[in-house]
Amino acid sequence: MSNKHSVLLKEDKCEGCTNCVKNCPTKAIRVHQGKATIKEELCIDCAECIRTCEYHAKYAETNKLKELKLNDYNVALLAPSFYGQFDRSFNPERIKKAVYKLGFDEVWDVAYAAEAISQKTYQFLNKNEGIYISSSCPVIVRLISLLYPELLDNIVPFNSPVDLMADYVKEQLSIPESKEYGMYFITPCPAKVTAIKNPLGRENSSLTGAISVDKVYPKILDLIKNEKDLKDVELKQDYQPYLGISWGQSGGENDILNNEGIIETLSVSGIHNIKKVLEELTRGNIEGIRYLELVACPTGCVGGIFNVNNPFQAKYNIKTNIREYSDFIDQDIDDFNFELDEKIKEIGAEKLDEDFVKAMDKLEQLEQEIENLPGLDCAACGAPDCETFAEDVVNGLAKRSDCIFVLRKEIGDLADQLSLLTHELPPVMNSEENNKNDNEKEK
Amino acid sequence: MKSKKIIKDNIEKRDFASGGEVSSKLKSKLRKLGINNKDIRRCSIITYELEMNLIIHSEGGILKASVSSEVITIESKDKGPGIADIEKALKPGYSTATDEIREMGFGAGMGLNNVKKFSDDLEVDSKVDEYTKVKAIVKL
Repeated sequence: MSNKHSVLLKEDKCEGCTNCVKNCPTKAIRVHQGKATIKEELCIDCAECIRTCEYHAKYAETNKLKELKLNDYNVALLAPSFYGQFDRSFNPERIKKAVYKLGFDEVWDVAYAAEAISQKTYQFLNKNEGIYISSSCPVIVRLISLLYPELLDNIVPFNSPVDLMADYVKEQLSIPESKEYGMYFITPCPAKVTAIKNPLGRENSSLTGAISVDKVYPKILDLIKNEKDLKDVELKQDYQPYLGISWGQSGGENDILNNEGIIETLSVSGIHNIKKVLEELTRGNIEGIRYLELVACPTGCVGGIFNVNNPFQAKYNIKTNIREYSDFIDQDIDDFNFELDEKIKEIGAEKLDEDFVKAMDKLEQLEQEIENLPGLDCAACGAPDCETFAEDVVNGLAKRSDCIFVLRKEIGDLADQLSLLTHELPPVMNSEENNKNDNEKEK
Repeated sequence: MKSKKIIKDNIEKRDFASGGEVSSKLKSKLRKLGINNKDIRRCSIITYELEMNLIIHSEGGILKASVSSEVITIESKDKGPGIADIEKALKPGYSTATDEIREMGFGAGMGLNNVKKFSDDLEVDSKVDEYTKVKAIVKL
């Protein structure tokens, strides 16, 4: 178990193939001794490895529903994407009532905060020049602090909607101090779990934990079927944040922003696409855009791995659910605490050495190592590509002969040497032989 | 400390598909050396602009970068049309790109101007119909 991350490996299921290694956007996985290992400092909890693994050897850890019993009072926060799990005939009100029935005393929508942050971001963009990146997806924030720290200042310096909502609800709660309460986010993805355990830009999270959508989905599905059973549930709020719900699918964030006023936005989803956008942004090749909505999962949060419904249907469900609504709900956005506790820091895991001169030497070694490798990026060594393998060798984390081609060459050289040695004779015999030859020549 | 060459790459004319590769490669190496983010971004932009200049305007050339603990030097050398009026070429919006290139979204005349904007020192040497040499310095 990791106290930093939520994406983990089931060792007994890992077959030692390198599918996850090759598909990891931060090159965080290696296969050694037939088992995958995740390098903690490089993992951004994007769940690409869970998506790729044919053997289901990767999983993510979340809180269990039965933990609710340990608390005197329980609060649930629902992600906008949650509504994408159900078709339009089940409106948000009914779904929320069903969540109460799971054992929650209060159920809140993160979509309230999504609406508030859109309005706040609109103001921010009008006050500040340049291109800004949404801080909503924790995978993206971690990706930038790991691989694109030069873009950290481009992230909108606000808490994510989940954190905003959790802080807001915590303020609202009126529970005697003697009572234990728990506040859980019903999460579509492992990255939100990590953001609770190990937040970026904040000291800690107001949330107690996160319960994955797939753990509650079957129960909710049963509960929403009979409206009669939900009659006794009273909602804390009588208006639904439909506009905010659109945040749950890619493009939604930009739609809400443009509801406030015209602003140049672009939405990109899928972690590998996002890496390309960030690369272009670094070299100054993105123009005209003011706001980048970047969401790691394909089709947005509805594509999170804990969701049950497929991401395409879920995206459609959200779109149809919100299409008649175009107004913000009536709330005071100053009730939310947007400011981060601290600047988001660079992770700094790419440095070869703290000392510049030593790093230079290592870079030179690295280039020599790369030259000796075949450049096929076959991943048979357990690293995703030859360059990463060379780096592991330089850092003493792998042996040259872990490369099957280097090993073959070494064996070949050894065999050549062996065959040469077999022709060598002991000096006594050798000299006789030579003398004989010499005598024959003289004749 | 003596500076060490970390990049030396040939750039072919009109090779748009490879545009940006040298810039990314330099960025990755500078990151491995622990260079600060602000200077990494400056170097990325300078290298990308020089790279694209060689692709768009020249008959092909070479891009080099070297680094010491104090300074990063990025140099490009090409065979090609050269620049008749260097002072003009350094101004924003000045471009000799053809319509075809502009239709591709390049040649807005920000290239050399950007190189100048993001470097601490810039030398441009050119002979019409022969070559252009650019040396950009980024002080750390």
